Amino acid sequence: MAQINLRSVSVEFPIYNLSGRSFKKAVLHRTTGGTISRDAQEKVIIKALNDISIDFHHGERIGLIGHNGSGKSTLLRLLAKIYEPNTGQLHIEGQISPLLDISLGVEAELTGYENIYSRGILLGLSRKQIKNQMHEIAELTCLGDYLSMPVRTYSAGMKIRLAFAVSTSIKPDILLIDEVFGAGDADFMEKAKNRMVSLLDQSSIVIMATHSDDLITEFCTKALIMDAGRIKYFGSTEEALSIYHGKTLST
Amino acid sequence: MIIETEATFSQPLYSDERETSEQNEIVFHQKSQKMLAWEDIRDGLLRWRIWLLLSYQDIRLRYQRSTLGPFWITLSMAITVYSMGYLYSHLFKMNMHDYFPYLVAGMLGWSLVSTTATELVETFTQSSELIRQIKLPYTLYIHKVIMRNFIIFFHNILVIVPILILFRGTSAWNIHLLLLLPGLLLIYANAFCYGIVLSMIGARYRDISQVIKSLIQIAFFLTPVMWIPDILPPDKRFFALINPVYALIEMVRAPMLGNLPTASNVAMSLLATLVGIALSYYLFTRRRARIIYWI
Repeated sequence: MAQINLRSVSVEFPIYNLSGRSFKKAVLHRTTGGTISRDAQEKVIIKALNDISIDFHHGERIGLIGHNGSGKSTLLRLLAKIYEPNTGQLHIEGQISPLLDISLGVEAELTGYENIYSRGILLGLSRKQIKNQMHEIAELTCLGDYLSMPVRTYSAGMKIRLAFAVSTSIKPDILLIDEVFGAGDADFMEKAKNRMVSLLDQSSIVIMATHSDDLITEFCTKALIMDAGRIKYFGSTEEALSIYHGKTLST
Repeated sequence: MIIETEATFSQPLYSDERETSEQNEIVFHQKSQKMLAWEDIRDGLLRWRIWLLLSYQDIRLRYQRSTLGPFWITLSMAITVYSMGYLYSHLFKMNMHDYFPYLVAGMLGWSLVSTTATELVETFTQSSELIRQIKLPYTLYIHKVIMRNFIIFFHNILVIVPILILFRGTSAWNIHLLLLLPGLLLIYANAFCYGIVLSMIGARYRDISQVIKSLIQIAFFLTPVMWIPDILPPDKRFFALINPVYALIEMVRAPMLGNLPTASNVAMSLLATLVGIALSYYLFTRRRARIIYWI
């Protein structure tokens, strides 16, 4: 059973300005007693996630809502184990498949088939598993003969089809999605939706950051509003959307 | 300098009345930074499939639409070392039969060591896209860079074949050639340890890659690649012997020339490995979790 638990998790980013990154300044700072380049020490810290405590359970489809910079992507990357929490505790049960960036490991010079292969390897599949699933993946992309062409000839929507098909082919327990459906056409959206529903049947959690209300009402069972790195609301989708839009209208 | 925020893990403050039954089931495993560092190294090895593919892909993409493909590397290497060998054997008034193979084998070793070191500094900055999108062990990217350079080395190695046949005949091929394998392993081990150090420093301080590049240029002249340590006055020879880069190059040069690496060269290489292990252990266990914030 897939399960995610967070207890007062915080993620802080140090922002290094140009001089903070300079080795010369760091050395000078040492040798000159810190008078010349004090800026090497001056570091801005951004609290991207602030004291988050939440639980996601088996079968939940979570829509992640929030303004730009509210911490949606950071939360997804935290769950993908890319960021490690500065403080707090994180417990994740189940295999995770991140779909955070469609261009992940997609090499424009390689063909669709080659990209399916390399992305499959990146996601931890074996050569044999990819071979077995190649047909199924190729089918889902609906790209036909284009799969033997270099990906640089693809449109943005075609790239998404490719990426989505491979990323969901590993039957993850937990699927993390960040704003990737923008360019998919209606036909693909239908397929993607069916695929997601079938993934859910295999005991999975889907967490999806999106700005589309339709996607949230259609796909999600629950919604989570992020605001300035904190959880503003976690509950039903209708409630969440009305709170979110209520706020945007009033401000 | 960065101030390490040691993760101060609070006790699970869980007071949600709705799910008290579940409360007891959740076990938060807290792993120490040391443990996580070891897991990173272990997983990096276990996922050899990924770094092998990525390094192979790097080379393929570089030569995607050229006729010769990766053998461009071999060709350009051949032109460089052949012309160098011809010129310098006259310049140094050396016996071409001894000097030519010595220089070619040395240049192969040098280009392996030096380009690996240069590229390792940019390991994380170059793979930043991937690192931000998917959780993979950090050491995986180090393996990738090293393996890419080893693949190039195996293309380059062809350059020495005609030289050995021309100047040495078939007598050069003896059992010592097999020592190339442990020699390369030793270089790999060193590249891995120093790769952790270089890549982390390179991610944190962006101007370090320029520093390393100029250091490597200086090292080329200080290391017996083009010149033979024997031409130094006897009391100055220690200068070459304590040079770890020389020791590492000898690990591949001596076997290719059908010689045994000297004991002092092996000792120096092993010493370098030990220092590398200590340095990388120090850095990696302390700063590994910060890498993502540096890139």
